[in-house]
Amino acid sequence: MDEKELIEKAQKGDRKALTELVKIYEQTVYNFSFKICRNKERAEHTMQETFLSMIKNLHQFSGDSKLSTWLYRVVANHCLMLARSENKYGFTSLDDDEALIDEKHIAEWKVTPEHVTENNELKQILDEAIQKLSPEYRIVFMLRDVEGLSTEETAKIVDLSIPAVKSRLHRARAFLRNELNKRLAYE
Amino acid sequence: MNKPTCKDVMMHICDNLGEELNSPMCIEIKAHLESCENCQHFFKSIEDTIQFYKKYNVQLSEDAHNRLLEFLGLKGH
Repeated sequence: MDEKELIEKAQKGDRKALTELVKIYEQTVYNFSFKICRNKERAEHTMQETFLSMIKNLHQFSGDSKLSTWLYRVVANHCLMLARSENKYGFTSLDDDEALIDEKHIAEWKVTPEHVTENNELKQILDEAIQKLSPEYRIVFMLRDVEGLSTEETAKIVDLSIPAVKSRLHRARAFLRNELNKRLAYE
Repeated sequence: MNKPTCKDVMMHICDNLGEELNSPMCIEIKAHLESCENCQHFFKSIEDTIQFYKKYNVQLSEDAHNRLLEFLGLKGH
């Protein structure tokens, strides 16, 4: 059975089809939630809320966009809501392009991925770097670069114009690149 | 069109990494990139950064899967 049929059955109340849809997307939703929240408990909570929202609102799903796009939007909104309600993190301001892209030092990339082992220390550095980014920038970077969505799809999910997505993306990329260069240079 | 500077290239790479590089501006950018070591380093550093985050994934545990189905009232379907 293809996804379209599963959605139609689930919209008519078929619990088996609904379960099947959850099973198809649970890993994607969990992984994406983790990439935004950087915390497994929060990621699980976000995943649960995302599928609950899917079940409640599936009757409104028209099929104009992909179900995955719809789910990404729910995760993004949930994470933004959580971050705003807590509002306790001091995120780094990315308003200054000059500071982000410093031509004099831009060639200094001391990180060699092949020499960086996949370990907990690296994960911690990646977590810490991205947690300095406000969720608005983090979500754009994750959708466009890590999940591989197009700029147009990303813009739709986060309700931004394409130039605004590109602006957030280049700032997020440059910021993360600078952070990793500082932290991983002598690993 | 004026020749792009390193700064233009760096900004434009950021905008277009992973997208089609076939607009007139992008052709200029490509030409600049081929001859500018500085920009090549920047391009590679951005690609490496993305790769780090792409490779960092988490697996949903069996327990978390079961808790999800329980939470949604779908256990046993």
